[in-house]
Amino acid sequence: MNPAIDEFQFFLEKEWSDGFPVVTPTDDRVRWMLQGTRRDPESIVGHVPPAGEVATVRDIAVHALMAGCKPEYLPVVLGAMQLILRDEFNMAGVQCTMHGVAPLMIVNGPYAQQIGLHGGNGCFGPGFRANATIGRAIRLLLMNLGAGLAGKASATVFATPLRYTACLTENVERTPWETLAVSRRYAQHENVITCAIVESPRLHFDDVSIEPQRLLRGIADSMTSTGSWNMWFSSDVVVAMSPQHAALCAKAGMTRAEVQKRLWELAERPQANLKQGGNWRPERARAMGIDPDDDDYPIKAVKDLERLHLIVAGGMGPITAICHGWNDSSRAVHGTYET
Amino acid sequence: MANDLPFIDPTRGGSKTQLARAPRPMDLAGMTVGLLDNTKEQADIILETIGTALREKYGVAEVIMRRKGYYSRPAPAELINDMANKVQVAIAAVGG
Repeated sequence: MNPAIDEFQFFLEKEWSDGFPVVTPTDDRVRWMLQGTRRDPESIVGHVPPAGEVATVRDIAVHALMAGCKPEYLPVVLGAMQLILRDEFNMAGVQCTMHGVAPLMIVNGPYAQQIGLHGGNGCFGPGFRANATIGRAIRLLLMNLGAGLAGKASATVFATPLRYTACLTENVERTPWETLAVSRRYAQHENVITCAIVESPRLHFDDVSIEPQRLLRGIADSMTSTGSWNMWFSSDVVVAMSPQHAALCAKAGMTRAEVQKRLWELAERPQANLKQGGNWRPERARAMGIDPDDDDYPIKAVKDLERLHLIVAGGMGPITAICHGWNDSSRAVHGTYET
Repeated sequence: MANDLPFIDPTRGGSKTQLARAPRPMDLAGMTVGLLDNTKEQADIILETIGTALREKYGVAEVIMRRKGYYSRPAPAELINDMANKVQVAIAAVGG
């Protein structure tokens, strides 16, 4: 040991962290972390863009350790990393964009419950070790092996608090519906991660509606906006209904699929409205096959129904969280992972 | 590298390696210049204007224009290699 080195300071000075102290990765601790997987530590999971540094199972364990994960979280970090490196997800673009988006991980299945991933009160925020550290591990990998650093490879103007961590599960105890994964024909017992590139959630309050149509019209309005890229590109949008909002729809007899479809139908604005500000341009309308002079043409917030990811999360209360998307160079990915 | 440290270098010592910049020519006369359009709106207009100015004012012999598939995706290696083989100077432009 070199007694002159204070490792906490060293990692911060080296830009090997997100600005918070990390758990110092030593051989002993990494061996402990690797107990969380049966995979060969030297097997390559992928190359992290844009720098393209190789990420092995061991590298991912090093970062999971640094982030504060328990070994039992490692399978989720490995599974998520494998997913976000898929070509259709275009992590290279996300790492470099001026936008402030991040890969949001929605983890479904029994393993998420077993390791204590949280989908209830405050699930987008601090206080839950699995949510905090799994997402943080992914971020540290993107920074340390991908060099996605603001002002360097990343041209992000604001970034987003979701770049500290962005990992949650659904509120399975209080949802009236099947999970997002089951809605995609995965079995109840399968462990599934969905990743979508999104902005920070914005909150839509509705403590007034007593029937779904008004509620959904309001949520749909929050999904549309001048200045939002999902008006002009085919993007992923995540809508996290609180159990209370979901229950209001379910009690009126609506299934999860019906709510998803209704939101997709309602979330649109006439082109004239979008001309009043933001990023409307005639070239962008034409690129979508729309006549820029057709003021009444309805512009959908989500172009493809499958790209509206509806989940039930959060605590009790009359709020839905909406995460706008990025652009059509990235498609959300989902898949099972080994536990 | 980090071998003398009492802990593991998580970056493998590589991801922030500094690459040397290619030397900048002092004169463009007689050179072939490549222009890379990143597909953002009006990038082509900006680059065509630059191409004309390079030929007319700086005596550039030839301008080669190439276009990426999508601005948020990296240019494919074949496109970069093709350009590197044909031009002495390349300019990338973003529109917007």
